[in-house]
Amino acid sequence: MYKKNIKIKLKRTLTPVFVSLGVLVIWEFIVSITNYPEYLLPRPIVIFSALIANFNSLLYHTGITLFEAMVGFVIANILAFFIAVIFTHSKTIEAGFHPFVIALQTTPIIAMAPLLVLWFGSDIGSKIAAAALVSFFPTIVNGVKGLETIDEEALDLFKSFSATRRQIFAKLRLPNSLPFFFQALKTSAALSVIGAIVGEFVGANRGIGYIILTSTYHMETVKMFTAIIMSAVAGMLFFGIVSIIEKKIVFWQKF
Amino acid sequence: MKTIISLKNVEKYFNSLHALKNITFDVNEGEFVSIIGPSGCGKTTLLKIIGGLTNFSKGSVTIESGSVESALQGRKFGFVFQKPVLLPWRNVLENIQLPLEILDRRNASEIPSKLLKIVGLEKFENFYPNELSGGMQQRVSIARALSFGPSILLMDEPFGSLDEITRDRLNLELLRIWREESSTISSITFVTHSVPESVFMSDKVIVLSARPVAVQQIVDIDLLRPRTSEIKYSKKYLELVQCIRKILK
Repeated sequence: MYKKNIKIKLKRTLTPVFVSLGVLVIWEFIVSITNYPEYLLPRPIVIFSALIANFNSLLYHTGITLFEAMVGFVIANILAFFIAVIFTHSKTIEAGFHPFVIALQTTPIIAMAPLLVLWFGSDIGSKIAAAALVSFFPTIVNGVKGLETIDEEALDLFKSFSATRRQIFAKLRLPNSLPFFFQALKTSAALSVIGAIVGEFVGANRGIGYIILTSTYHMETVKMFTAIIMSAVAGMLFFGIVSIIEKKIVFWQKF
Repeated sequence: MKTIISLKNVEKYFNSLHALKNITFDVNEGEFVSIIGPSGCGKTTLLKIIGGLTNFSKGSVTIESGSVESALQGRKFGFVFQKPVLLPWRNVLENIQLPLEILDRRNASEIPSKLLKIVGLEKFENFYPNELSGGMQQRVSIARALSFGPSILLMDEPFGSLDEITRDRLNLELLRIWREESSTISSITFVTHSVPESVFMSDKVIVLSARPVAVQQIVDIDLLRPRTSEIKYSKKYLELVQCIRKILK
């Protein structure tokens, strides 16, 4: 039984590894026999060696982007949490602000980014704001849902103890909403990295978005590929961190 | 005999639906009263009305000759629902402590462990609800209902989702817990859809009819206490089961 589990687990991890390796090999092979120009599609080996050669610089820029994303994420989610709490306490406030929330959510971040630079400057401030803006909405929507999705019988149980509203909130609504919150946090973790990169596109002198943009100007496609890979790694890393915290805090939920 | 719960001509409308019609009955001190009737007939609503969780349209409900609200505020009701309704983020002990925390009686820390012993879960205090079987979860929910010392136990088909063997065992355990020396419970009002269960447990069975729900008949169960499984083979028990089945037809 135990051995079988390990076998299944091994199969699950190894299958995607082999598939990706296969894709890379085919890519390498096709590009080298067709002599496709490197500025359009570089070979994986070239990208990989560039990644190694420039790793320190790439790491620095990824770190900047990840920092902007994380700060924006934290600010946005603390704010979103409190707004979700206010929304669940007052239907009137929720009704009044809901269209505003939806309108902001449907406005593309790329349309807002220049305004953010105007407001928060071309340094990391505007990137943090962009990251915050995109990671704000999943939490507010899911947070309200989590705080309001309460089992009717659980509510009856608390009423049978003559629990106060505050007690119901602290001991029932809040813990009950945590799985919903973490679901949103995972989404907004990935989104915040996108937000930071979009912010960097508009005007920056460091960060992974800056690298991507400048490598386009100079037709440095290899460098661009390495930056794209690093941005993917940053997004996955942040998502992974939030998932680990989720498993620790929302331990009762089956994943 | 003191009257604990008294319903007089209680009526309940859901908009235009006449849900409860002219419900009158008493639950006295020391009595185990079952409410039985076709499913979806408003048994749960009736129990919620008694416990002050739902309002009613007409009539009167008195609890120990006071109002339902004052009984609710005085924490006289212990509720056990059909589902165990345990909080999944709290372990067994913490779930039983929940009402004590809400009542700010945290210093009564010896009670939960004593109750765990009574419901036979002393080895499981650190387990989480999703690690327990349905029967064990319902035991925890009973212990939780007893933890703050209520005098009126209201149970809504508490063993309805359990298999028959577990249900029979928990029936006996409930009667034993009720009779424990430390028990604060003076009466139990028990909603069920099982005729044998209602006869086995009760002193009085209130048989409801469907739509609109009214009291069809109140059947006195004059079987001796303490009840044991052997009673189920007695002629009187079988006659009573038959009698209620006939009323329900």
